Amino acid sequence: MARKTIFIDFSKCIECRACEVACEREHNGRALINVFEWEEMAAMALNCRHCENAPCVEICPTKALYRDEDGAVLLSPQKCIGCLMCGIVCPFGVPQLDALDRIMMKCDLCAHRRAEGKLPACAETCPTDALLFGDFNEIQRMRRKAFTEKAIEKAKKAERIPFMGL
Amino acid sequence: MEEKLVPVVCPYCGVGCRLYIKTVDGHPQGIEYADDIPGISNEKGKLCPKGNAVLEYLLAKDRLKKPLKATEQGKFVEISWSEAIKEVTERLRAYSKDDPNAMMFFGSAKTFNEPNYLIQKLARMLGTNNVDHCARLCHSSTVTGLKAVFGAGAMTNTYKDIEEANVIFIIGHNYAETHPVGFRYVIKAKERGAKVIVADPRFTRTAWFADIFLQHYPGTDIALLNGMMHVIIKENLYDSDFVRRRCVGFDDLVKAVEKFTPEYVEKITGVPAELIVQAARTFATAGKGVITWAMGLTQHTHGHDNVRLAATLSAICGYQGREGCGAAPMRGQNNVQGACDVGVLPNVFPGYQAVTDPERRKFFEEFWGVELSGEIGLTIIEAAHAIDKGKVKAYYVMGENPVISDANANHVIKALQKLEFMVVQDIVPTPTMEFADIVLPAAAMLENEGSITNTERRVQWSFQGAKPPGEARPDWWILSEVGKAIGFTGDGARGFNYAGPEDVLREINACTPQYRGITPERLKANLAGIHWPCPSEDHPGTRFLYKDRFLTPDGKAHLAAVDYRGPAELPDEEYPFLLTTHRYVGQYHTATMTMRSEALKKRWSEPLAEIHPEDAARLGIKTGDWIKVETRRGVYPIRAKVTRAVKKGVIAVPWHWGANVLTNDALDPVSKIPETKACACRVAKISEEEARKLMEAVPKVIPKFEVVEG
Repeated sequence: MARKTIFIDFSKCIECRACEVACEREHNGRALINVFEWEEMAAMALNCRHCENAPCVEICPTKALYRDEDGAVLLSPQKCIGCLMCGIVCPFGVPQLDALDRIMMKCDLCAHRRAEGKLPACAETCPTDALLFGDFNEIQRMRRKAFTEKAIEKAKKAERIPFMGL
Repeated sequence: MEEKLVPVVCPYCGVGCRLYIKTVDGHPQGIEYADDIPGISNEKGKLCPKGNAVLEYLLAKDRLKKPLKATEQGKFVEISWSEAIKEVTERLRAYSKDDPNAMMFFGSAKTFNEPNYLIQKLARMLGTNNVDHCARLCHSSTVTGLKAVFGAGAMTNTYKDIEEANVIFIIGHNYAETHPVGFRYVIKAKERGAKVIVADPRFTRTAWFADIFLQHYPGTDIALLNGMMHVIIKENLYDSDFVRRRCVGFDDLVKAVEKFTPEYVEKITGVPAELIVQAARTFATAGKGVITWAMGLTQHTHGHDNVRLAATLSAICGYQGREGCGAAPMRGQNNVQGACDVGVLPNVFPGYQAVTDPERRKFFEEFWGVELSGEIGLTIIEAAHAIDKGKVKAYYVMGENPVISDANANHVIKALQKLEFMVVQDIVPTPTMEFADIVLPAAAMLENEGSITNTERRVQWSFQGAKPPGEARPDWWILSEVGKAIGFTGDGARGFNYAGPEDVLREINACTPQYRGITPERLKANLAGIHWPCPSEDHPGTRFLYKDRFLTPDGKAHLAAVDYRGPAELPDEEYPFLLTTHRYVGQYHTATMTMRSEALKKRWSEPLAEIHPEDAARLGIKTGDWIKVETRRGVYPIRAKVTRAVKKGVIAVPWHWGANVLTNDALDPVSKIPETKACACRVAKISEEEARKLMEAVPKVIPKFEVVEG
């Protein structure tokens, strides 16, 4: 099964936080993606990784966390009891407690937008394509292709080393 | 219930991004990305944080809904539109009888071409050329500088050319923060293998992506650019064929840059000599190059010369009139280019036709049916000084906020207090409004329609995506009512009788050569817009300028030969630091819109003054401490951020929250731009209590008004 997810290209993030603002608009004022700065030298956006072997799904005692057909890990609000276990086991610290509804909240890869055939808002808006939405293996293939093309281009331009003393 | 996707243009920066507003029965419900319109400036519908939060400020609780009349300073009573128009026209008519030059009109880069055309038409028909707008404070140096070298004050290329360039030289321009969507094309070029050179006094987010980063002291741009040209000429890396065929003044240039050896330039700018050499070689040998700049280059007392040198550098490398090349000044507001194009400048009629040219004046005298003044009018900063001398007595301000945006704000405030009469037309209360006699509530850009010209000379039509609140009215409607009430009721272009903005644009088509073929019908049918010049209705528009000849009288590029000049005010014993100003990606200019937008306000909530760790240690300042920054003109309390992003001896302050109380209003002799990017200052640590006290003297971004309901 092709699993669609958000690929983050750290080298392109300009810390404009458009993804945060877009996410917040789509999710009732709560940004489920965050941008972090590293020593004023670089930035990176981080959202739920929708892990293959998601510890949050494994541990959820009420089966509130489940996987949809695109492979996104979603939360069923009716089942969630706010036990925080998913947040505790998540290595990225993604699930947060919604103080108002007293249940967990996390990135749903914009389920409502995907249902209409649109991209998640963060990937759609990202001005520099630091966030890409798609099948992970396909994205990797494209990156390999781009890298090879660039390497070939470079090799073409490089000066030939003259044969010496032959 | 009727659901619609209304195509609009983002009301923030000069990139001019397209987006849709989702409306139900004319009420905005949300936005959608315009990923299905080919050829727009924001490829795939990409938006920055401001673009994403575009609906929030429309819903601000303090939107102006009724015309107001001041009873005393800062206290207003609601009046009707007919009373307001009557009051305004009576006063304007009286001034035009006594001395038309006692009036000053402010156009706005934050509204469409049509109202801008109307405000300059109104001013000129009343007998004065005193009409200007905020381009004076941002890109007036670009307009004069590029006109001097190439013959027209506009970006010579488009974003497409930036994407196709092999080298991009970004100087005085924090591209990644000020135009995030435009920066997309720099990253795309870089991915393709293009080199990026960044010159900035701060290590900005743009600098993260630089192959070569030149950190020069604020205000030393002339030395840096001359130094690069010195290397390019010495090493014979310039395009001699292009210089011979299409440029004049090369010999003078050679002489002028003779002394700017990399070692000499290192002493002035603080940039290592080898980096200057490397940057010069990289730029000149790339084959296709773009140079982009913004406020860091223009807002100096030598801004005009800075721009001429940037243009000269691009010309001697032969980077003009081709794809993937060009000189790209990045406009800060979505319609600065348009407001300049339609003549909201004191020295030109629409289409950059000089008011001093008797032939052009005669054309407009016949076109508008009145006698016109041939005397060049006042610029924004000159007007504030003219109030002091009692020469200017009345202001008509459309969508501008000089109290925050003008250099030396304390002086501006004193001047505004002396005005006899001031009308302010805006969408929300601004600190400028405190001094107004009449306030006219305007509809925001997304609440009415019209044409907008982005930084690439791309003219686009923005449709109505929301209803204006209360009795707020479109700017074109207000100006046309004022014009008619004054008595300009002639037919066609001779009066102010318009059924809609389309009528106004047709009038612009008739008198502006560059816009001749850009009709409302064409714009509405083509959402990607048309790049001017577009001389006829069947002309597709022009992607890059100067393919065969420049627009100077002799058709050649006039290279600039300039000797070094630093900032007007340099650090001394009393004020030992060099102050520069910058901005944040999520805040916008005088913050009237962004501070009313919750998503932006909470992320970029307050300014932080950047100071080098060694300076901070000496003064006992830590990140988060309150400090006061003091210049000869004012004091500004602000919290500190200790960072290596600035050089030793440099303080950088974001200006959105009123830091212009500090800046210098010394003017460039040609472009009349104030030097907001460099002046001397001193810094001291203060207590939070003292900071709060000092804060009271700084103009508030969101003022509190007393309004009595009528």
